Parts: sequence; C-alpha cells; structure tokens
Amino acid sequence: MAQIELTKLRKEFSTEDEYIVAVEDMDLQIEDGEFLVFVGPSGCGKTTTLRCIAGLETATDGQITFDDVDVTDQRARDRDVAMVFQNYALYPHLSVEDNIGFPLRISTKLSTEEIDERVIETAELLGIEELLKQKPKELSGGQQQRVALGRAIIRDPEVFLMDEPLSNLDAKLRSDMRTELQELQQQLDVTTVYVTHDQTEAMAMGDRIAIMDDGMLQQVGTADDVYRQPTNEFVAGFIGSPNINLFTAEVEGETLRGPAGFTYSLDDPSMVEGRERVRVGIRPEDLYVASDGSVPSEINVVEHMGNENFLYAEMGDVELTVRSGSQIRPEENSTVIFGFDEEDLYLFDATTKESIKTKTGETALEHEQFEQAQQ
Amino acid sequence: MATSIRSELQSSESYQELSDRLRFLRQNVSSVVPKIPGLPYLYISPFYLLFSVFLLFPTLYTIYLSVFSYEGPAGSEYIVSIQAWIFELTIPKISNLEFVGLAHYESLIFSDSVFHLSLFNTGFIFLIQVPLMVILALAVAIVLDSKFIRAKGLWRTLIALPVATGMVAYSTVFLLLFEGDVGMINQVLMSVGLDAVPWLTDRWMARITLVIAITWRWMGYNMIILLAGLQTIPQQLYEAAEIDGATMWQKFRFVTVPQLRPVLLFVIVSSTIGTFKLFAEPFVITGGGPANATLTVVQYIYRQAFVQLNLGYASAVTVCLVVIVSAISIVQVRRGGAAQ
Amino acid sequence: MMDEPQRETALKFGSYAFLLAVVTLIVVPLYWMIVAATIPQSELFSSSIPFLPGTQFLTNFEALQNRLNFVRTIWNSTLIAVVYTLLSMLLCSMAGFAFAKYEFKYKEPLFYFVLATLVLPIQALVVPLFLLVSTLDLLNTYLAVILPWAANPLGIFLMRQNMQSLPDALLESARMDGATELQIFYKIALPTMIPSLAALAVILFINQWRLFLYPLVVLQEEAMFTIPIALSQLVGAQRVAFEQIMVGTTLAIVPIALLFIFLQRYFIKGILAGSVKQ
Repeated sequence: MAQIELTKLRKEFSTEDEYIVAVEDMDLQIEDGEFLVFVGPSGCGKTTTLRCIAGLETATDGQITFDDVDVTDQRARDRDVAMVFQNYALYPHLSVEDNIGFPLRISTKLSTEEIDERVIETAELLGIEELLKQKPKELSGGQQQRVALGRAIIRDPEVFLMDEPLSNLDAKLRSDMRTELQELQQQLDVTTVYVTHDQTEAMAMGDRIAIMDDGMLQQVGTADDVYRQPTNEFVAGFIGSPNINLFTAEVEGETLRGPAGFTYSLDDPSMVEGRERVRVGIRPEDLYVASDGSVPSEINVVEHMGNENFLYAEMGDVELTVRSGSQIRPEENSTVIFGFDEEDLYLFDATTKESIKTKTGETALEHEQFEQAQQ
Repeated sequence: MATSIRSELQSSESYQELSDRLRFLRQNVSSVVPKIPGLPYLYISPFYLLFSVFLLFPTLYTIYLSVFSYEGPAGSEYIVSIQAWIFELTIPKISNLEFVGLAHYESLIFSDSVFHLSLFNTGFIFLIQVPLMVILALAVAIVLDSKFIRAKGLWRTLIALPVATGMVAYSTVFLLLFEGDVGMINQVLMSVGLDAVPWLTDRWMARITLVIAITWRWMGYNMIILLAGLQTIPQQLYEAAEIDGATMWQKFRFVTVPQLRPVLLFVIVSSTIGTFKLFAEPFVITGGGPANATLTVVQYIYRQAFVQLNLGYASAVTVCLVVIVSAISIVQVRRGGAAQ
Repeated sequence: MMDEPQRETALKFGSYAFLLAVVTLIVVPLYWMIVAATIPQSELFSSSIPFLPGTQFLTNFEALQNRLNFVRTIWNSTLIAVVYTLLSMLLCSMAGFAFAKYEFKYKEPLFYFVLATLVLPIQALVVPLFLLVSTLDLLNTYLAVILPWAANPLGIFLMRQNMQSLPDALLESARMDGATELQIFYKIALPTMIPSLAALAVILFINQWRLFLYPLVVLQEEAMFTIPIALSQLVGAQRVAFEQIMVGTTLAIVPIALLFIFLQRYFIKGILAGSVKQ
C-alpha cells in the first residue's frame, strides 16, 4: 500500500506534424488506501496520467513518488503496481489458472505449489474457481473481467490501476461489478486509481474524484464537493445527471436578465458587482414549478420514469432539463414557469468560467437532522 | 499399483522442483541484466548482420562490375565450371577488366533488342499470370475457409503440393505433358478429335504454357498464405455485415478485401518480384524459345554471365532489373498502403 | 428465385465442384509422376500411356540409391530446410516484432531497407556470392546454404504485418506483471502468433527446399547434394533417367506433406478471438 504523489507531472507527445500536451503540470496526492477516480471526456489526459503512474509512459517532466520513493524513472515491472485493462488483455494462449498465476511465476520466488494455492485462493475470492482450466475465449465478458481482476490482485500490489475496466460490460453487470469492485478494494485496502469517462460511475465509486479536461486537472474532491462546489463551469457541467442547465445572463444592478424573459433578483448582489454578464447554472433537480418563478419555458417532451419525471423544455434558445416529481405532468407544448432557491444557484465568470457562487450550505445541517432522526 | 502412483507423484514433484529452480535462476539472471538500451535494434540486428556479411558485397560488386567489360578469352581460365543437366555454369577468373563507364547501360537501353524482348516477355507473364494466380488462390482460399467444407486439411495439402516438386521434376513433367504430338495433353485432345495445340512452338502459346506451369506450381503456396490471412478476420465482422443485409459479394468486397489487404499486398508484391526473377521454368520448359519469345530477364542475365562470360554486361542487366522491380514494388506498396 | 436451403445446397455443390476441379488439375501431373516412378522406363514411352501405378518403385529407387546415395541427399535437404526454417522463424519474428511493436529511431527507413533487399535476384548474384562463400571457406558446408537468407526479408515483412494485430494492451499487461521485454517476446508474442508462425514455417521450408541454382554452385561435393541438385545429375547427355527422377520427386514431396499434416492443427481459426477486442 502506498501514498502516490504527482508533482508537476507533464506528458507531451510529439509526432512529425503534431505536438500535444496530454497532461499539463499536474499536482496531486493520492492517499494510502484511497479509491481515486479520474474522470473526464475522452482525450482529456486521464488515461495518460494513469499510464504515467503505471510506468507505461515516461513522464516528460515532473515527478512521481510512491511513499516518498521517486519512481519516475522506474520501469513498470519495478513499481509493484497492477493494472486492469479496458479489454482485460488476458493472454489468449494461457488457461485462466496460468493467466492469474502469470505475475507470480514471472516475478516472485514462490514455488509452483505456493503459486497454485494462491491462484485457488484468488479464484475463490472472485468466485471463478470453476473456470480455472478454461481458456479466455471460452469465458463471458464478466468472467474475463474477473480473471483480469484476479491477475491484478494475486500479486498483492502497492497500487491498483484500472483503465475503464467496466466499459465493456452490459449495464446490469456493470452496476453489480461496481459494488463488487468497491467491496474488494475496501477488503484489500489497496490504493486504487481508476479511470472512467462515466461520471455516474465516478461519483458512485470514488473516495475522491479528479476531474480532468484538456490535459489539466480541474478539481479534486469528494462526490459531494464536486457536485456542490465545482470550481468552474466545466466541472459543474460534467458532474451531475442530467446535466446542469447553463445560460448567460446580463447583470443590471441586482437583477439577472436572461433569454426569453428570465429575470431574477439576487438577495445578495455583492457577488456580481462590477460585472456586465455572468453564466448562470441551475441543476435540473433544483427547478420546481412556481407561478412566481423566474424561468418561463415551453415544454417539449415529458419523460415518465415512474418515480420521477424528466421535463425537456426551452427558454428562448436555451434548452432546459427539469427533474420533477412524478405528479408533475405538464402538457407538451404548454408554457410552465419554474422557480429555484438562491442557495441552489451557481454563477460563473462569463470569460474565465471560474465559479463565483456555488451551492450554499445546508448539507451539514441536513446531515445532523438525519443523525438525530436516526437516534 | 500403489507404488507406481507414488513414484509418479515423486517424479512429478521433482520435475516441479526442478522447473521452479530453473525459474528462479532465470529470475536472478533477468534481475541482474539491466534494461537493454535499444532492444528493438537488437531484434533487427541479425538481418543487418547477415546482409552485410553475405549480400552487401555481391550487390556492390555487381554494381562495380557493371561498368567494366570482361576481356578474357572465354573458357580458358575459370575458377569453377559446373555441368548439371542442361545447366552450364562457368565462373571465370575475374581479370582483364576494362573500364567502359556507362556503355553497357547505353546499349541496354538503346540498342539491345534481345534485352527489350526479355523485358516484354517478363512483363507479359507478370500482367497475365499474377492476377490470374492471385484471383484463383483467393477463390480457393475463400472456399476452403467456409464452414461447410469437410476435410479441409486434405484439400489444403493437395493444393499446396506442387510447390514441393523440385524444379527438375516439375519441368520434366510439364515437358512431357505439353511437348509436341507426344505430349499427354495433345494426345488427349487428338483422341477426342480436336487439333493438337502448338504449346511450345507458337510464340504466344509458349508464353501461355509458361503461365499455366507457373500458376500450377505457385497457386497453392499463395493460397496457404491468403488462407492464414482469412483466418485472422474476426467472425463478428461477417455477422455484422450479414445483419446489415450484405450479399455474399458485398461481404467479400467490404469485409474480406479490406481486412485481407495487408496479406493480399504481401502476396501480390512477392508474386511480382517472383515473376521478375523468373528463371527456371522458361529455362527448362521452353528453353527461352521459340525465337526468344519466352526468354526472361534473369535467363538473359544467366546467358550473358555463365555462357557468354560477359560478366560486366550481365551485371548491368542485373542492376537494370533491380531498378525496374523496385519501381514496380514501390508503386504497388504505395497504392496498396495509400488506400488503407 | 431460390429459397434459402436451396441456395445453400447450390453453394455447397458449387464450392465442392470448384475445389474438385482445381484439385484435379493439380493432382493429375502429380499422379502421373507417381505412375512414372513405379513403372520401368520402357513403358513410359510406349504408345499406350499407363494409367495405373506399377510395381517397380523399389527397383527404381534402388537404381537411384546406387547411383547417387539418395538417402544421404534426402537427409541433407531435410537437415538444411529444418535448421533454416527454425533459425529463420526466430530471426524473422524477432525483427517483425520490433518493427510492429516498438518505436525507435530510423524505424521506417530501416524497414524499407529490409523490403528493398527482396528485389535482389539471387540467380544474378551467384558469381560474387560464390567468390564470397569460397573466401569465407564455407564451400560445401550446410552453413553456406542456411546463413545468407536466414533473416528472410519476406518472413520479416509477413511477421511484421501479422504482429501489428497483436493488441498493445497484452504486451503492456505482461510488462505490468513484471515480464522482461524478452519474456514478453517469447512468452506472449510468440505463443499468440502461432497460426502466423505456422504459415511462416511453410513458406520458409518450401523456399529452402526448392532452392536450386545457388546450392548447385556452393555445394559441389556429392555428399552435400540436396534433392534438386541430385536430380539434375540424372539428366545426363546420354540417357535421361526419368523413372529415377520421378522416384526422387515423389520422395521429395513426402516431407512437405508431412509438414502440412504436422502444422494442420495450428491453422485454426481465431486464436486471438475473445481475448482482446480491438
């Protein structure tokens, strides 16, 4: 188990006619035993970062340490890390047994007997002891996934790296494996770095989430942090499902004026003082029907999910998504006015996209109330 | 009974122990060995090493000789002279070289009509034989790759066997099959009341006879390579095409051909080079005749070098041949690669 | 319009008919060769060509053995082809692996150089090659035939093409598991490439087996003769020993047939299937 520290990590790729900065000056500390998830759109540099930690790519600049030991120039095989690949990368010519035992056979002094024991133990832990004699191509996707996990955990590595390990599984299996992976990680208590493009997966699994865009780390924090206090518009837009509603509003004194007659008077206008316009963000779950609200919109589609409804609407040329209770059933093409509470309002700088205001706080209180109610 | 199981166990244990010990030893060795810098260079070095030892000198020497004229009296002084079957090989002592500059090349390009004819013959065989053989080989490979064919191994082996026949035997067989009125084919033709075909005596028929012979010998070989390539095409692609409603031709056109492109390119390029190096078949079956109608470039080189002992001139022809083949191959690789 | 089962039957029938036609055209000369190997030469040129094998095979073989020690010749050919094939498979897959799976400086020009050597016509280089081989004191040795093309450019090209389909993740996974680069090559790359290696073995073996002009020049002692050279000795000026040639050829085909049968099980579909989706 190890604490990982990235200091000014930088990775550039240059080909004859292209020069790409895949990871730009990243500082990040990953705690011992932590489950950290890198998330971001494709091409954001999350996989490259993972591969740098793995030792599959050499950093252009900066430093990587495991427990204060500099591993920047170490080969992958010397770092004591295990990795699960998106496509599992099982050795096609080896049986499940030999696939799982491969790392031990290659890099430890365990006798064949001991290796066999460890393989059986690991297979039992993952519930694949029936499959030991089979070849990878005879297995289902979920089974292959388990074999790949087995090969990673058998070595008892310092660090687990996982590159979109669930993306090839069907939805049901994916959510099962998600829970299983978390339980496994807690049980083994190994520092884990996990890469995904799926923010739901990231939110559900990570102790902390690191959001990347365009080679740069945008924010690192718990699911709550990144949802409630995004540092910029990108994070706000990436985290949360359905996506946050975003539009530009003009500032007139204490009033925000948006498209199609959106007007809202701020209780606390100090934060927009001196600005001509801001970007406004309101999460779909924070909008509610209110005749005195400030968001007039025309309903396009109503999706009935059973326990709740998704309303897709338009406010001028801005598309809006509203997540409402299942009792709210407006007619399609009707006009509905929505309102929101100021504490749920997000404001971002119109040019730098940095946060001006994020959700302000009731979680602690709610939490306390919950605790009290429990007692 | 019990003892035999016991001893078996023991022996398998000691085998395990031994293999473990070997494994540890290997690990010790590999942990001491530092990261090899330039490992890929190490992987490709045998080629370059063998090339510089065995082929660099002959290549350069050939280029060197091509600007000289050998002036020795033919046959009087030689290092080695071999006579086997219809082959007559004399390697003369290299002396009395007279520098002639580019004179050989000049006469090759502007005045040597035999050389021009040999180029035409080779080009003709290339244009007819390579497409014919590749299409046939591909057709056979596809049929053999389909699910319902039984005893695939037997078919495959039978079809690829001709390439194993030695040159002497194969040429003799083709001679006996095609020659004049006594050849088996003409006998069969005449027995059903058809006219005998002048397989070896008509200029165009002789060329076609060569095409048939070369295709007979090499089709199976190329079929094996294509078949190996076909087997790497993922089944899912065909299934996807099937679901999209593709006809058999469309599956071939939009799945097989693009997926097989690298292997196909390999087969075409190597067959092309093979054609331009063609030597044994015309030498034995038609002797280059009639009236040099099947004389190939390499055969011309052989005649110049080993029979007439014009080593310098033969070298110049060799250089020309290499330049031509290189140009054609580069075009093929470019076009085959560019379309990817 | 035909319905589906009818179409399938037609397809099967057509395929078998096509195969049968091709095989017939190929096998007839071979069959005739076997016939010729088993009858006395006098019958070969009689007016009625025999269509069934005779009983003279052993007699003809004995004549061949007495004249040329053909057993020794078969041994020479086999030894040369086997050693050449094994060595060349190793060298070709090493180079193919490097060209397909590593990035290094001058990779492209180095690879194109390998390809360029394909165009060198062996037959035309025989004179300087002979001079070279005799200078190296390799005349009448197996090495003279095995070494020059041991790193076969055709084989390197083929292996590079095939190794490109090897998923990077597989190699990286092995790297993470602690394998050295050499182990990655022989424990992962080679075993997953078995179908390609089988095809390569066939190509290399056949290429060596049929070589004629170059061995003719560098292997001049009768004890070193390979099958093609030995057979060419039978075509003397006075009498062409057809029946002996046919015996020799029939025997020469046996190893190739064995090679195919032996490699049969490796020509299996999709050894990579299911391990990694590309």
